[in-house]
Amino acid sequence: MTTTATTPAGTAPDAAVVPVVSFQGVGKSYGAVRAVADLRLELHPGETVALLGPNGAGKSSTLDLLLGLRTPDTGTVSLFGTAPQRAIAQGRVGAMLQSGGLMEGVKVRELVRLARDLHPRGHSVEQILTAAGITDIADRTVGKLSGGQEQRVRFALATAGANDLIVLDEPTTGMDVASRQTFWGAMRRQAEEGRTVLFATHYLEEADEIADRVIVLHRGRVLADGTAAEIKARAGARRITFDLDGPADRAALEALPHLTALTVAGSGSGHTVRIRSQDADATVHALYGLGLYPRNLEVSGLGLEQAFLALTTAEEAAR
Amino acid sequence: MTTLIKLEILRTLRNKKFMFFSVIYPPALYLIVAGAADRKPIPGTGLSTGLYYMVSMAAFGAMTAVLLGNSERIAKERQAGWVRQLRLTALPGRGYVAAKIAAAATVSLPSILVVLGVAAVVKDVRLEPWQWGAIAAGTWLGSFVFAALGVAIGYLATGDAVRPISMLVYFALAFLGGLWMPMTLLPQWVQNVSEWLPTHAYTALGTAVEGGSAPHAKDMAILLGYGLLFAGAAAWLYRKDTRKA
Repeated sequence: MTTTATTPAGTAPDAAVVPVVSFQGVGKSYGAVRAVADLRLELHPGETVALLGPNGAGKSSTLDLLLGLRTPDTGTVSLFGTAPQRAIAQGRVGAMLQSGGLMEGVKVRELVRLARDLHPRGHSVEQILTAAGITDIADRTVGKLSGGQEQRVRFALATAGANDLIVLDEPTTGMDVASRQTFWGAMRRQAEEGRTVLFATHYLEEADEIADRVIVLHRGRVLADGTAAEIKARAGARRITFDLDGPADRAALEALPHLTALTVAGSGSGHTVRIRSQDADATVHALYGLGLYPRNLEVSGLGLEQAFLALTTAEEAAR
Repeated sequence: MTTLIKLEILRTLRNKKFMFFSVIYPPALYLIVAGAADRKPIPGTGLSTGLYYMVSMAAFGAMTAVLLGNSERIAKERQAGWVRQLRLTALPGRGYVAAKIAAAATVSLPSILVVLGVAAVVKDVRLEPWQWGAIAAGTWLGSFVFAALGVAIGYLATGDAVRPISMLVYFALAFLGGLWMPMTLLPQWVQNVSEWLPTHAYTALGTAVEGGSAPHAKDMAILLGYGLLFAGAAAWLYRKDTRKA
């Protein structure tokens, strides 16, 4: 293993500011497929971080590397300043994997007790069951659970003891809207107790609602890193739509300030113009300055979902 | 770690189908193999067919349950991702291997006792009480070695490859170790190889006791050596395994 991390020698981090998770120039390939490329990332105590990215962006690989289930080809991964395996053996990390199965042929309560007993600082079984919202299915046999119930059992296993970091890979997959809301409550409580929570998700709403930091991965690299609001701003935060009678001067529209995207639909007598802008006020002001008379003008905010799509498609287009 | 061991034993006992067939198979095989020629002594051993096969079939049956049972179950658990989840706990490798051996031992004990019982009742095998005790204990403890081998194979092979690989290992060990037919009836080169195999050492424990003497130190040392080797390999493979299988 070659270490290409550029941490200056002799600067041992102060114990108070040791990052919970640290990726230093981490690369990982499977054959010809580059899953993670020169990943640099630090998570700090108490953060709730969402890991976003399209399929194949390297989310699962990143989590595998983080948990020591795979070793990086280059760079170093550390948890609490030590090797991932070590941090796990110390019971500092709780994890819920997408690919993590459950032990068959046992009852939910028995499995939770096992996770509790394996943890150096385990909570009481009843406490774990309640926190994960699975008291009602505690006597059911594993293997006869629905997808959403299984997810909650996995969550219980990941939160069976006093961890400092909780890692969740697509935790609400297979849940309906109502149980997803309940689950978010359980996740929030973990964060409120001062734990660092890192979760990968497909649901942007989830990232928007829970995370105080969003990391967008794309092709194994960090594409954006900030609060949900910052990510939205970066992608062009506002959408402006209006109708124009008569011909539309595309070049003039494109020259509008703070514009990040433009589409013009329609022909001849009427056009619908859609603009994405980082400063809607200035763009609209300049629009009137062009001497145009926009009708049905609407300015609306961009959801994280659209922001995310805008970011990743822009990145694809730039390649 | 004790919770995992208890839980593994508990769920093995709950798996009634697996228990039933694992316990029924060895005595059934014993009755077929030992057949009618129960009084005829086997050349070079001084033991009757009924007596000789009692030990080898108890050993064979125990080995079937623990080796095939463990390797397949573990490969399945890896595929399901349970092992990945376990690896994210503070459980040490030896804890996992110990739990799997304990689960296998839960199955092998009744299967051994039933073979001995059938031999006594149906084949009129008569031994001193200490001999019964020593044979049962030796065969049971010896099965741990193959349980560990089962864990190791479950880790080496993935998915569909597990069954053919474990079958190959199982038949080769059973045949070359003299479980199916007395070693004295096999060619000399087989006997030379056999002497160093765990399966031969395994049945030799029982046949020595049947002959009225204590098990040979060499056989015990061979078994112990293989036991440590397999268990060590299994624990190492458990810790090292990062594939999703």
